[in-house]
Amino acid sequence: MEDVVYLDNAATTAVDPRVAEAMLECLGAHGDYANPSATSHAPGRRARARVEQARAEVAGVVGARPEQIVWTSGATEADNLALLGAARYHRPRGRHVVTSRTEHPAVLDACRQLEREGFEVTYLKPAEDGLVEAPQVEAALRPDTILVSLMHVNNEIGVVQDVGAVGRLCRDRAVLFHVDAAQGAGKLPLDVERDCIDLLALTAHKLHGPKGVGALCVRREPRLGLVPLLHGGGQERGLRSGTLATHQVVGMGAAFRIAAASMAEESARIAGLRDRLWEGLRRLPGTLLNGHPMRRAPGILSISFDDVDGESLLYELRGFAVSSGSACATTNAEPSYVLRALGRSDRLAQGSLRLSLGRYSTVGDVDAAVAAVGAAIARLRAVAPPRSPA
Amino acid sequence: MTGDDPRYGAEVRRRMATLAGAGDLPPGPGVVTARAGDREQGAEILLTGRVESRRLADLRFRAYGCPHFLAAASWLTGQLRGADRAALEGWDWRAAADALEVPPAKFGRLLTLQDAVRGLARNWPGAGESTV
Repeated sequence: MEDVVYLDNAATTAVDPRVAEAMLECLGAHGDYANPSATSHAPGRRARARVEQARAEVAGVVGARPEQIVWTSGATEADNLALLGAARYHRPRGRHVVTSRTEHPAVLDACRQLEREGFEVTYLKPAEDGLVEAPQVEAALRPDTILVSLMHVNNEIGVVQDVGAVGRLCRDRAVLFHVDAAQGAGKLPLDVERDCIDLLALTAHKLHGPKGVGALCVRREPRLGLVPLLHGGGQERGLRSGTLATHQVVGMGAAFRIAAASMAEESARIAGLRDRLWEGLRRLPGTLLNGHPMRRAPGILSISFDDVDGESLLYELRGFAVSSGSACATTNAEPSYVLRALGRSDRLAQGSLRLSLGRYSTVGDVDAAVAAVGAAIARLRAVAPPRSPA
Repeated sequence: MTGDDPRYGAEVRRRMATLAGAGDLPPGPGVVTARAGDREQGAEILLTGRVESRRLADLRFRAYGCPHFLAAASWLTGQLRGADRAALEGWDWRAAADALEVPPAKFGRLLTLQDAVRGLARNWPGAGESTV
């Protein structure tokens, strides 16, 4: 890859070489490439064994039993299966769903689909720190509420929701609780039993696993009904038809196993890098941290810079792979809806930067970013016109 | 390193490298300014020119906006040196759009540039006097 400092690990991560090695074992002519559903022969049974080992590895990270894991193509499909599948199945009980305005589009767009199907969705507005607390969820519940969906770690600003408190509330009210854990699983402790989570969406590629594979962890006791999205071979207990991609599944299992083994140590190291980054950047005038200062995921830092155009900032930082809330820098024509939901102005939302750290981020990367951001902001502000008198 | 970014043409990259023409001119006889745009709308520019012998002898800019806008402001300072008031009054944003390969979605920002250029013409020394 070209010589760019990669600080966009919330978008995706590099595959860990140990993960790649495990995947390769399932690809070649001498590998475990057989269809894991073809258990009538030995190669199929070997592939099946690898799939089941991966299932156990993923389940173990989130306190689930292996049979709760349903493989999908990623968290987007898992979110869609959870929301559409649960709402459609439980429609006779009610048609009301609760979520927040700062969810990932995989959840928000699935909710909009539910609205088209006659469901009513309440979109909670987070506080200025990005948090949605259990009492706010409680106030939104109605007798016909069947499902609450709340993300664990916000992908743009990195705040960590108290999913345990919301989960216990939902369990007490017999309301299903779905959590999008794409950004948090394997990085922060998460336990579907302790946190009363009925549906948990997971992905591999945020955790140094491959793209194109994810999972939905589904409560089994008592059994939770879901209407499948895909129909075909009846794989995954009929919840997700289609031949399993053994190498992808094995890669996800390896990624989760590695993450679990090093979670505490790695999270502490990455949080230290994040704090070093923030300490370096907060000294710049007009710098605002987006999201709660303490309840944050280790690797995500979102900052708004006053009086700086986000696209120009990204241009100046073209030696770094980072994300911005700038309209022109993304395919979206609007400033970040997450930052707008937190009350940031369009200008601040556009002048925002998300720097996200991962397993391969270093102190050198962080120090280089601090220096480059400081220089870019100084250059852009120096060329900007002075403020007009009010 | 990222010179292959298709969003920015060669002239934008060249201009952004130096931002030639950025800055101010000290106030004095023949110095004229014009401001246009709004940060909240994503583009704001302040032009400062020095008029000598009824022509722009020097022109500087300060700007807030995207790389296309900053580069266009820099390009403008070179293009308009030597221009008379009539040239400023007739200046059209499309010249910048062509020179800098500005995408259509950003044409509105170039209108901000045109507003500022025509503002210079309005504020031209002795603009209230007959030029006939």
